[in-house]
Amino acid sequence: MSKKIEQTQAGEKVFDWLLLLFSVGVLVEAFRIDGGLRLNSAGSFPVGLALVMLASSIAILFSHRRKRRDPRIRSALHECQVFLHEHFQPHIVVFSVVSVIYLAAIIWASFYISTFIFLAAMFIYYRQGRIISSLIITSLAIAVIYVLFTMVFRVYLP
Amino acid sequence: MSDTFSYLLMAWLDPGLLGLTALGVLAGIYIGAIPGLSVTMAVSILISFTFAWDINNALALMVGIYVGGVYGGSRTAILLNIPGAPSAVTTAFDGYPLAQKGEAGRAIGLSTVMSVIGGLIGVAVLAGTAPHLADLALQFAPRDYFLIAILGLLLVSSLSGKSLARGIFSVALGATIGLVGMDMVTAQPRLTLGSMELLGGIHYVVVMIGLFGVAEAFYQLHNMAKVPVKQKVDKIIPPLNMVLKFLPLSIRTSIIGVVVGALPGTGGDIASLFAYDHAKRTVKNPSTPFGEGAYEGLVAPETANNAAVGGAYVPMLTLGMPGDAVTAVIIGALVIHGLNPGPMLMIETPHIFWFTVGNLALANIFLLVFGLTGIRIFSKIVEVPKAIMIPLILVLCVVGTYSLNSNMMEVYWMLGFGILGYWLKVFGFQMGPIILGVILGPLLDESYRQAMSSVGDRGGDFLLALVANPLSLVLTTVIALVLLGNTPLKGWLVGRFQRN
Repeated sequence: MSKKIEQTQAGEKVFDWLLLLFSVGVLVEAFRIDGGLRLNSAGSFPVGLALVMLASSIAILFSHRRKRRDPRIRSALHECQVFLHEHFQPHIVVFSVVSVIYLAAIIWASFYISTFIFLAAMFIYYRQGRIISSLIITSLAIAVIYVLFTMVFRVYLP
Repeated sequence: MSDTFSYLLMAWLDPGLLGLTALGVLAGIYIGAIPGLSVTMAVSILISFTFAWDINNALALMVGIYVGGVYGGSRTAILLNIPGAPSAVTTAFDGYPLAQKGEAGRAIGLSTVMSVIGGLIGVAVLAGTAPHLADLALQFAPRDYFLIAILGLLLVSSLSGKSLARGIFSVALGATIGLVGMDMVTAQPRLTLGSMELLGGIHYVVVMIGLFGVAEAFYQLHNMAKVPVKQKVDKIIPPLNMVLKFLPLSIRTSIIGVVVGALPGTGGDIASLFAYDHAKRTVKNPSTPFGEGAYEGLVAPETANNAAVGGAYVPMLTLGMPGDAVTAVIIGALVIHGLNPGPMLMIETPHIFWFTVGNLALANIFLLVFGLTGIRIFSKIVEVPKAIMIPLILVLCVVGTYSLNSNMMEVYWMLGFGILGYWLKVFGFQMGPIILGVILGPLLDESYRQAMSSVGDRGGDFLLALVANPLSLVLTTVIALVLLGNTPLKGWLVGRFQRN
């Protein structure tokens, strides 16, 4: 009976190494808490958690020994290309960049204006240029947000 | 007794609460059904809007969304082969083949009735067991809480996701996030990286919205072009003989659902998997083979995941430990409203418990009504293109996070957790264990330190205490068995046992 061998995704091993580094960082930071080495102190539990993270990230890295690389991936450079192709497709990059700009713009452009521009831009982009219908949907969404959050829930918005 | 009845019927008799429960169930069905939206996401966002409300109103809406959402995932699983929620993954195994055979309406109707039966059995178990468990929990020592929390986190680590190591990492990561801020005992800053902003800690709602809302929005960007295949839906109400035929199976799988749901940290997705497996093993002559449109394969997971809702409330209301990710969020809501989830809840605020029981039962009745009607409108709404839904999810996440403390820094943290959650999700880590870690981390820290203080900070005595008391011994043994079950030693032991 043959057991199905798991495949690693492009970039998975690098990510798991980053988790190991992160765990080391948490451990260092936990040791800096006063009493990190004592059994009952403010630092004891964070140190314990960091050690658990470290041990499990090592176990995750070890688990790669039982996995194999996607046979379509030929080299490290090719893996990098596959990773970029999978996770940095134009529509994902655009959404990420526009989201960051939107969050930065909320403070100086106010919530409603920045949200209107963000939604309109994203709808037009994702719906491939259907400008009029995108603007109508944006206006409706803004109206619903205003009624629901400002009038009904009475939440403070930036 | 009369007080108990009045609390039980509060949601049934108050028009406002009745309306909020109905609204919650209806919204929950759609939220649960739309792939990309989750009940946990909705309840997380809702906390920030409802913390100024009366607790009963807030709970009525959340209970409605929870019950409706667990059921809602099954509809898209049957109609489109896209489970709207993780607990509906197994529903798609037989639900979608049934829809392809032209029996989508019957499958939806039967899953609705069975979900309600499962849900009501879950509520009955909650009402019958929780008060006794709460009495028992009053006698628990801090080390027992410590062990129960460890067991819950271990179960969720081992039962969800690709591997135990990934599950444990997620839980530890969540607990670490939960510990950021000032230590409650010594007022020392912990894991704050010297930042004043972090002294107050990271609000768990910020983490939840980031991990369940933003991360999911980013993740759904991969499926933008997926076009579902529509199915014809008619003859929704199932005949009585059909319901009676599957009743024994539904009762058995409801019990599985309640028990699995009551284990801290598990929930409907794991309950439905167990129930499906049980049906496959015990039903000798299914209507058609499993995986090809067996009604038994639809009934088992649907009853179990709704029964798990009542089960998940048991540890939450009696021990203050969440049964699943949604109850983890609801614990947050109770704390925000100044309540104390755990054994003291029954003593200090018994009306909250009985109100929740009555409200859950009411939500199941609304589920029956909404589940068997409005299918045509439903199929239109679930077709909302992702191009519109994903940007709107981000806006909702921003509003939800900002409304917590009117702090833009928390919105940036939310985005940060969203990006982290996206990458973790991509590489096979589950979000549920992280959230449970965030909630249970401070509780674990507190109970560990109390337990350690009770034995004079002596490590040897602490370890001895874990096996000296009967309850602690049982818990320690179960933890050891769960750990053992996830090592190669298990295979070796099973092999030896079979040879002998």
